[in-house]
Amino acid sequence: MDFRTLLQNEYVFLDGGMGTMLHLAPGELPERLNLTQPERVAAVHRAYREAGSQIVYANTFGANPLKLAGTGVDAAESIKAAIRIAKDAVGEDVCVALDIGPTGQLLPPAGSMTFEDAYESFRVMCQAGQEAGADLVVIETMSDLLETKAALLAAKEHTDLPVIVTMTFTENGRTFTGCPISAAAMTLEGLGAAAIGINCSLGPREILPMMQEMAKWTRLPLIIKANAGLPDPVTGEYFLTPEDFAAIMPEYAACGVQIFGGCCGTNPDFIRAVCEKLRGTKRGRRLLTPAAAVCSGTRTVLLDMPRIIGERINPTGKKRMKQALLDGDFDYLRGEAISQTAAGADILDVNVGTPGIDEAAVLPQAVQAILEVTDLPLQLDSSSPAALEAALRIYPGKPIINSVNGKEESLEAILPLVKHYGACIVGLTLDENGIPQTAEERIAIGRRIIERAEALGIPHQDIFLDCLTLTASTGESGPSETLTAVRRAHDELGVQTVLGVSNISFGLPNRPLINRSFLAMALQSGLTLPIMNPMAEGMTDTVRAFRMLRGFDENCQAFIAAYQDMTPNAPAAPAQASGDLTLGGAVIHGLRQDAARLTEDALKEHEPLSIVNDILIPALDTVGADYETGKVFLPQLIQAATAAQSAFGVLKQHMTAQGGGQADKGKVVIATVQGDVHDIGKNIVRLLLENYGYDVIDLGKDVPPQKIVDAAIQHQVKLVGLSALMTTTVGAMEETIKLLHEQYPECKTVVGGAVLTADYAETIGADCFGKDAKATVDYAKTVFGDE
Amino acid sequence: MNPADLDRDEILMFLNTPSLDDNLNAVLDTCIEEVCTAAQPRTVYRVLPVEHPAEGGVTLGGLPLEGDDIALHLTGCQEAVLLAATLSAPVDTCIRRAGFTDMTRALMLDAVAGAAVERVCNDLENEIRAKYPYPYFTARFSCGYGDFPITQQPALVRMVDAPRKIGLTVTPHCTLLPLKSVTAVIGMSHQPVKDARRFCCGQSCAECPYHEDCPRARL
Repeated sequence: MDFRTLLQNEYVFLDGGMGTMLHLAPGELPERLNLTQPERVAAVHRAYREAGSQIVYANTFGANPLKLAGTGVDAAESIKAAIRIAKDAVGEDVCVALDIGPTGQLLPPAGSMTFEDAYESFRVMCQAGQEAGADLVVIETMSDLLETKAALLAAKEHTDLPVIVTMTFTENGRTFTGCPISAAAMTLEGLGAAAIGINCSLGPREILPMMQEMAKWTRLPLIIKANAGLPDPVTGEYFLTPEDFAAIMPEYAACGVQIFGGCCGTNPDFIRAVCEKLRGTKRGRRLLTPAAAVCSGTRTVLLDMPRIIGERINPTGKKRMKQALLDGDFDYLRGEAISQTAAGADILDVNVGTPGIDEAAVLPQAVQAILEVTDLPLQLDSSSPAALEAALRIYPGKPIINSVNGKEESLEAILPLVKHYGACIVGLTLDENGIPQTAEERIAIGRRIIERAEALGIPHQDIFLDCLTLTASTGESGPSETLTAVRRAHDELGVQTVLGVSNISFGLPNRPLINRSFLAMALQSGLTLPIMNPMAEGMTDTVRAFRMLRGFDENCQAFIAAYQDMTPNAPAAPAQASGDLTLGGAVIHGLRQDAARLTEDALKEHEPLSIVNDILIPALDTVGADYETGKVFLPQLIQAATAAQSAFGVLKQHMTAQGGGQADKGKVVIATVQGDVHDIGKNIVRLLLENYGYDVIDLGKDVPPQKIVDAAIQHQVKLVGLSALMTTTVGAMEETIKLLHEQYPECKTVVGGAVLTADYAETIGADCFGKDAKATVDYAKTVFGDE
Repeated sequence: MNPADLDRDEILMFLNTPSLDDNLNAVLDTCIEEVCTAAQPRTVYRVLPVEHPAEGGVTLGGLPLEGDDIALHLTGCQEAVLLAATLSAPVDTCIRRAGFTDMTRALMLDAVAGAAVERVCNDLENEIRAKYPYPYFTARFSCGYGDFPITQQPALVRMVDAPRKIGLTVTPHCTLLPLKSVTAVIGMSHQPVKDARRFCCGQSCAECPYHEDCPRARL
């Protein structure tokens, strides 16, 4: 039987719980039974077929190579056996699904499993399932949208089977990892799932409102596979009867659900009851077009009003960002992401194109770093199809691609990526002949891009047009042609419109005035997605005012929330503390704003280096000494360090502006070792080292030994700092030190972390045991000869 | 969670500091607020039979538990509760993000979250004590206490189906994720339990630098 044929029925019936039916003994592995006791598994499938199931899930939920590691059960072998058992048990009229559950590991930013490892494990499952003759692939009980995407991509790229996907939501309407229903639905539909839905976690009563929500966000057939209520902790029994369970199902049918089954605690009686309950009924009609939106794995942004795309993550014209990218330091990008999010951006553009950068390698890393600090959806901005594809693979959610244009070469390279990964696309209205002068010609190109995209099956609402801002100084008709084109794209073509706003003022004085005036005009002409600097004066304000004035802001709530504490024409904020406060005092007392302000004052009279050596370092030494003698404690020490950091920030900016060299005393590589995901201790060490003028190359957490050694050699550092918090990861620390000794013996090592002692540090070959961050700084001083 | 549920002294203990000035106290208040807003506490537990095989050691629901300390801890117990609790992923996200912007806050959020997960465990423990007809309960005992190795974490997590039930996973190196999570065993007995020692930080109370004024010391 073919899944697509089944979908021609009013309803399709799945099976119920497998674990429930197998009556597993404690510690018994269900996937082993496929090889050792096939009859036990077959009996479950037969019982479901007799109850009315048209699709049964093979006993492969946990047959993932990552999950089965160390159990002695081979995933592919277990899967092939399971599919054969199911096919033999149910015959030709019932579909057999390869069942794929989660790996049990978390991907970044929460965890340390790599996307590639997850994908590879799912690929093994899919290939085995296809070879054994599965009729479809089911991905179920998923929490993390990126892991789900890895499984779905593996199924789409390694089988030609239909793939249906159900995720698990908690009572707050999100998965355990925070994925909202809307994000799950739009992402999975975009990636080519054949049907989507909800399974496990809760009973049918609790899930119903979530299904009603999901129905709004997708055109795909919907699936419900609820638990039989909630389990009793002692007996593990679920409390709903088959009749109670089935009684709720007509409400699912009413919201258009087509595919019905059961999850934990359900058995063939539940399926029989559901079949009987729905017999002869019709399912409700579905909404045809979901709302236009983009999403990350944890946030959906509706495109129902002008939304700000933050433009700051782009190295063009930014010396420091270029250098940071070349150094592999993503903190600068994280900082821009944090400040744009705070300033009111709705979406962030990410562009890492600069000479000397391998975009295909760096763009996905940048995306991952940015997603550590923001929930906002991203716009992937590159002219390299390889870079776009690399970032599209690991992006959790539905991103925007910036961009395609009317050139044949671009259309051919980019549009298939948009389709495969279910993204939105920005079409630039230019082609082989360059940027047309008139709105008419730009609209013609826009039309062509839309036609080509739609021919590939990209939904109209996912296609955006950029009618291109030309600099006002190059011709007086330029801005008005752009505005006319925006108006026509919005009204005639019915698409979202994108514009890079600040190009308008290039080469002219008082750029902020031109930018915000043009922004207001463009919004009024139908611009919905301005690409702009949300921190620039008046820009975000203009968008907020526009939303309010055009009726997008109910009861002016968002506007009031943004400005209620504002006093018009307020004088510059007065200094917080009294005039007696010195820079050293500000650091000692941990006053961040004061430290920054007083550093700016000090720069009027002193050289940056003397501020560091005569004021900041002595202040830090005072706090450090107080910490060592127990007069102050860790929170105060860190607060002082944070204040010093803000002073160093001001100095760095000053020195970059002056084109002067850095005041770094030397480079240190630090990392939390492989397998360990605790990084708070390492971050404290980093802060203190930076305070004392060291250039810290922070490789992050869960860093493989060789990567640490490579970084140490590449940057020719004298000192490597390693952190480990678990007894299970001290081994990785030892391994790292061993490799360092072999490949870069002149480098010193300092180690720290809760499970370490001085003796143990010596045993694993470390040069120093840093009992705390202060001790690590003291050791750095001796290594670099500062003492 | 409710900010009033958190024990401020315990937070200060986790911060390794006896007190804070007004300035830092104000920061701490906002951190408590942030953690309480972000936290979505989830728990799961199972009551399992305890057996003391003649050859020594102890098994829980058929799973042999490693180390002498856990066997000693469960001496005289007929059953035990295996519990898992987590504040859920958003709390980890708060702490991680603060690590990029403000280490003082990151440090405080981490301490607050530590106290919050303790609170969640305490509440669950009280619920269990009220629910089961045993007169005696041991303290909670977790992997990493004494010689109960953290390498048993994956087996414990699997036993309560924690990934599926509460979104709690364990890495190949035995770290619980989300980070602010706990698994623990509470023994239940009809006879008084002698060994109710508590190992808050993987040490015995006698070795603990806070034991003299620890509100939770049970020596």
